[in-house]
Amino acid sequence: MIRAVAAVAAVALSVTLVDLFPRSILVFLAFQLSLLYVYVTRIPAWLRTGLLGVALLVLMPLIGFRNGYYLEVATQVGIFAALALGLNIVVGLAGLLDLGYVAFFAVGAYSWAIVGSPHANLIFGGGFPLAPGWFYVFLFVGLAVAAITGVLLGLPVMRLRGDYLAIVTLGFGEVIRVLANNLDKPINLTNGPKGITPIGRPPLPFGIPYSEGFYFLVLLIVAVVILVNRRLEDSHIGRAWEAMREDELAAQAMGVPLVRAKLLAFACGASFAGVMGVVFSAKQIFINPESFTFLESIGVLAMVILGGMGSIPGAVVGATVVTVLNLQVLKGFSLWLNELKNAGVTVLGYSLADLPTQLEPAKYERMVFGIILVLMMIFRPQGIFPARRRQRELAHTDKVPTAVVP
Amino acid sequence: MTALFDAHGITKCFGGLVAINRVDYALDRGISSIIGPNGAGKTTLFNVFTGLYEPDAGEVTFRGRSLVGLRPDQITALGVCRTFQNIRLFANMTAIENVLVGMHARVRLGLWDALTHPPRFHTVERGLWQRGSELLERVGLRDKANEIARNLPYGDQRRLELARALGSEPALLLLDEPTAGMTQGEAGHLMGLLRRLVADLGLAILLIEHNMRVVMEVSDRVTVLDHGEKIAEGLPREVQGDARVIEAYLGRSSASRSPRAPS
Amino acid sequence: MDYALLIGIFPQVLLDGILLGFMYALIALGYTMVYGVLEFINFAHSEIFIFGAFVGVEILLSLQSAGWLARLPWVVVLILVILAGMLASGLLAVTVERVAYRPLRTAPRLIPLISAIGVSFFLQDVIRLFESMWRNAFNLVYPTMDVMNIRFELTSTLDVSVRSLVVIVAALLMLWSLHVLVNRTKIGTAIRAVAEDQAAASLMGINVNRIISLTFLIGGAMGGAAGVLFGIQYSLINPYTGFIPGLKAFTAAVLGGIGNIPGAMLGGLVLGLLEAFAASYMSLLTGGAFGAEYKDIFAFSVLILILIFRPKGLLGEVVRGRA
Repeated sequence: MIRAVAAVAAVALSVTLVDLFPRSILVFLAFQLSLLYVYVTRIPAWLRTGLLGVALLVLMPLIGFRNGYYLEVATQVGIFAALALGLNIVVGLAGLLDLGYVAFFAVGAYSWAIVGSPHANLIFGGGFPLAPGWFYVFLFVGLAVAAITGVLLGLPVMRLRGDYLAIVTLGFGEVIRVLANNLDKPINLTNGPKGITPIGRPPLPFGIPYSEGFYFLVLLIVAVVILVNRRLEDSHIGRAWEAMREDELAAQAMGVPLVRAKLLAFACGASFAGVMGVVFSAKQIFINPESFTFLESIGVLAMVILGGMGSIPGAVVGATVVTVLNLQVLKGFSLWLNELKNAGVTVLGYSLADLPTQLEPAKYERMVFGIILVLMMIFRPQGIFPARRRQRELAHTDKVPTAVVP
Repeated sequence: MTALFDAHGITKCFGGLVAINRVDYALDRGISSIIGPNGAGKTTLFNVFTGLYEPDAGEVTFRGRSLVGLRPDQITALGVCRTFQNIRLFANMTAIENVLVGMHARVRLGLWDALTHPPRFHTVERGLWQRGSELLERVGLRDKANEIARNLPYGDQRRLELARALGSEPALLLLDEPTAGMTQGEAGHLMGLLRRLVADLGLAILLIEHNMRVVMEVSDRVTVLDHGEKIAEGLPREVQGDARVIEAYLGRSSASRSPRAPS
Repeated sequence: MDYALLIGIFPQVLLDGILLGFMYALIALGYTMVYGVLEFINFAHSEIFIFGAFVGVEILLSLQSAGWLARLPWVVVLILVILAGMLASGLLAVTVERVAYRPLRTAPRLIPLISAIGVSFFLQDVIRLFESMWRNAFNLVYPTMDVMNIRFELTSTLDVSVRSLVVIVAALLMLWSLHVLVNRTKIGTAIRAVAEDQAAASLMGINVNRIISLTFLIGGAMGGAAGVLFGIQYSLINPYTGFIPGLKAFTAAVLGGIGNIPGAMLGGLVLGLLEAFAASYMSLLTGGAFGAEYKDIFAFSVLILILIFRPKGLLGEVVRGRA
């Protein structure tokens, strides 16, 4: 009872604070922490779903009106949550360490970018960009293209041992990046390092402004992705993946066709990235190969590992924490440091204005990822929210399985 | 009449070492055992039968179909399933989940079903869980269905492996040292279980075993391997008295055998 | 098709390939030695390599600003810088092993690999942080020593600079010393024993942990030397420059046979030559349609093809025997 009150109070209070201090990053962080609290604390399921629903569907867009940047952060979190959920299938469920996951994101993004902008005219002569409504069709096209790419990339490497598989997928990720950077001749497919712009945006119902529209779209897709994940986990396919991860040899001896199962995992994971890629390119209006590097692949991996391999809530929380760290905390630290420098603050007799100009905390994402990966592996390899046995259990009294309340 | 399972001329070499040398083996029904000193090639033979190794020479047929060149999962789908010498359960999955994976080859559902969960999916899944529950009942693990496999005591783990292998509805079950580490009492129980399985399900079972009492009590037929060759075959009592068998076991010098030869 | 041109550039491309090959060989040694004793890919080796380059550049820049760079004989400077790079990188490698890998020695294989990736990323930004604070810049340029630029004309189409000669001689010296160390000393035997069979080696009285640290030290030192030579050869370095050469050197190690020390040397040379030829000829033959970056794809393709068709590599894997 106390917890329920505390949960509601936390959310209400933090939202009010955000309303009063829209510029304060700390306050927004408090809001996010209140949501986390709602998620983990033991309150009735209806209250949890209700609070989170209200927070995500109503409060967040309202916050967006006060400070558009926060909505942007939330949307980015959603995009990366879907990516983390996709990688979670490959790494967490099936146990395949894919270090080139961003390639599927890139493939999806470029598929819409090319036809959704005038760029395709360079290839096909005319008729582009496609009408913006095509975006919704291309959500599925991006899915399919990424899934096919997943199968193609997976085929040659499925028999490789875990660490070799990791390096080869890394190589594939780099190959896709170099291709994106260089396929401007002989035919100009990707426009190389200059990138593609302007990319068409989809028409939104009810005349919603774009920042809100993309936010809701991303939220919807994430919800679908979570649903798909749950269903796969609870099926013979999910069980086969887990068995494969536990002991490949025994799984095969029990009738699990390894290559097919691995390719399926790859394709499923890739498809989520493909869909989000399409959304990403329409949202950004401009893409270039810089957004699809090894750094991004490792970033998504860090999210999955931090959250918990094989865990759906873990992937979402991991995505949130890492994105917030990069977009808010590091950036906030940068801004704060600049403010201090400008104000001429001194620390122990050392004037901060004398700090080298090259020192910009916002750029230290790699350090953040690196620390996360090393510390998690040494101290908590199962992640913050380890995959819990939320799968069905056999009831003692009858032979029919009952679902377990998480 | 074609035998259920027929292998002849099986030869398998590892580098310069001949692990199995032109072994013939056939079985039809009931419980058969393969025995022999360590390093005789028993598990290697199992691995050849189940597709883990490809024989350098020889043919393996099951119900008239050749198994040579097939993958282990394909062989399981045809009806031949095995357990492992060192237990290879899916350690972090529950007992019932282990058995459910064992049934993978028999599941007639696809990706679309898994994604959309149509009524057919629920029917099939319910059936799987039902059957899994029955199999656990059969091996006496029904009340531990939701235990994580690695937390089960050793004897239970062995029985779970058996239940899991039964999940694939095999016509032929290959058990690699199923009583290893068990007390005589537990071993006796397991043998009783195996005999019931043969009677109830019409299975054929092939054992690799070191426990002579178990072998002699439960087998319809015994085959003896030594140094990769078959040196005796027949009823348990016949084999027990065979001079070559006795020499193979007792007249063995302690000259070192290559540590790399799998047994 | 200008055949004369194609043939004409051959000697120069060959030289470039050999240079590149030695560089890859030195870096590859770090990967292969560690894999030999632990069956583990030290993903952070690329940063250990570039760390050596940074130590080298810091020493050179300090010498330069103190005015000594021009006054000391260049051979002395060179040896000093290379030794410093080797020492620094070797110690870094040992530290990394202690902190980030040893606690995970018994974990499933992927766990230490992920940790290694983390270390790699961490080190990149640590170097950046340090250089940002120290010099307010992290894209650094190796100070030139004029002697390096002297070129000798060997033929009408081939000339070689002192710089290239220095790199080749230094690399050869290092490879030879390693060969002697591994094959003619007690320590080398111990390393090979641990690589073959850890359990048996410890039963023979070998302190396995110490040998493993030593392996990281030696492998790291090789990488550090490669880093300094890299800096001397290509002049421009930043904390992220280690990544691609590191990946390619790993390819070279696999190409030669992972765990196999002569294999790493051979693999490095072969990959270097292949890449040099691919870079020069592909570009010429396609009239510039395939730009310079494609040579990176080339190396990755080699890796993928090797792992699919001949994972043992050219000279065969040397991995721990199973008891």
